[in-house]
Amino acid sequence: MNEFFSRYGEQIISRGYEHLLLTVLAMTLAVIIAVPLGIFLARSQYRTLVTTIMGIVSIIQPIPSLALVAFVVVFFKLLGLPTIGLAPGLVSLVAYALLPVLRNTYTGIRQVDPSVTEVAIGMGMTPRQRLFSVELPLALPVIMAGVRIATVWTIGVATLVSLVGAGGLGDLIFKGLRSYHMDSVLAGAAPAALLALVLDWALGALEQWLAPSHRAQ
Amino acid sequence: MIRFDKVCKVFPNGTKAVREISFEVAEGETLVLLGTSGSGKTTTMKMVNRLIEPSSGTITVGDKDILSQNPVQLRRSIGYAIQGIGLFPHMTVGENIGVVPRLVGWSSDKINSRVSELLELVGLSPPEQFRDRYPTQLSGGQRQRIGVARALAADPPVILMDEPFGALDPITREQLQDEFIELESRIQKTILFVTHDIYEAVKMGDRIAILDQGEVQQIAPPRDIVESPANEFVDRFLGPHRFQLSLMTVRLSHLIKSSSLSLSEPEEAAETPKKRLFVRNSLIEALDLFKEVQKEKMPVWDQDKQVGVLSMEHLLSAVGTAFQRAGVEQ
Repeated sequence: MNEFFSRYGEQIISRGYEHLLLTVLAMTLAVIIAVPLGIFLARSQYRTLVTTIMGIVSIIQPIPSLALVAFVVVFFKLLGLPTIGLAPGLVSLVAYALLPVLRNTYTGIRQVDPSVTEVAIGMGMTPRQRLFSVELPLALPVIMAGVRIATVWTIGVATLVSLVGAGGLGDLIFKGLRSYHMDSVLAGAAPAALLALVLDWALGALEQWLAPSHRAQ
Repeated sequence: MIRFDKVCKVFPNGTKAVREISFEVAEGETLVLLGTSGSGKTTTMKMVNRLIEPSSGTITVGDKDILSQNPVQLRRSIGYAIQGIGLFPHMTVGENIGVVPRLVGWSSDKINSRVSELLELVGLSPPEQFRDRYPTQLSGGQRQRIGVARALAADPPVILMDEPFGALDPITREQLQDEFIELESRIQKTILFVTHDIYEAVKMGDRIAILDQGEVQQIAPPRDIVESPANEFVDRFLGPHRFQLSLMTVRLSHLIKSSSLSLSEPEEAAETPKKRLFVRNSLIEALDLFKEVQKEKMPVWDQDKQVGVLSMEHLLSAVGTAFQRAGVEQ
């Protein structure tokens, strides 16, 4: 055990840090893009257009993550951008995390009881006040569920982007697999799993803190 | 004061929901819009705070044309209460009541004391016990009381109520109706009240406007509607229980005015009665009260002044007259 840590401890820390950074960065970008877009789509008047967009979005979802990473690399190549390094890795992660957050934001806002929205208008809230003090708080549990799913997935996909040289705990896993060093595989896989559990729990705590006990009854 | 002048509403799909409606709700009056679903009553009400924009005609609130005002400002100046689910589930009772005061920029101290005042007013005291609860932690009747308190929060002169007691069980509903009538006599608001229930309408309304297919069929005080329906539709709407409705709509004051109910001279009461009989009470309320106190005679009050003493015998003969009249008209 001591030998394991003296051998891999430093790498676990540095690769784990990279992994966490990739995840947080990708999730931040995904939330910044997907939440406003989801709100915009949910409140848009053009229902048929919106339904079409949400339909297309749902098609992208089942693409296997490894295939998505590969597509991004091909896409980068076509655009003449570097296909190795942080950029293609991050783009793959964001693309994959975008969808659950977008879909849940859209659904979350759409499922707010229309009579609650109407009473908010009837009491004299502006569209902005209605969004921030009624629609978003009521949609928050659904949006947060999307963010949690996306975060757990992103931690998984982030092990794959080691293949395009974006770093992370995937480095240890793939190195171990190639050289048949199971302890190296474990040094990458176990912290990744742990990271997923910890972040999921932290986001759950964040949700509780943001939306107090009205659902607890 | 609310005035409708030749107001029409045609929806984009061509449905004529409201056709040339004209009426007025006087200051301090409660006008009930009564009709079946699809009669245009809710559409009519929602045009007042511009949740639905009229297609033509003029609506004035106070003395201002509503279309000349900013809709957001207009809505903040009109109280709005709807059935059950209208409370914001993620806000506490205090936050729910404080929505409009917060929108119009009251200080939090002022909002807090207003919330306490309103909770007491709607019978939820002590306020500290209710202020921080969430709507899911309240009974249906309590939620409805909060809905009423919220509509009154910024002290608007005009209040719109869309079946505010609709989702309650009959006993709670009746209790809330009675409380609201009592409350309303103290606060004097101009109220537009929507319901499909004729019994609720005769109970709550100073006047009733019966709507069908987007047109006013009759607009009159409850007693006039019950005793002289303007057309066949109104007649059918009243249903078979004419006698019951007239017991609810004939008030002691009506009978005293037409001298068909005789009171004996006021007498000094030996004790202050817990329940008082008022001239505004209907025959059925008078009967209920006599039954409750188990007395042969009761003093009748107009506000704080005793106007005379009513005997059970005289009350019963007035009920008999009402029964004959209801019989004759059918």
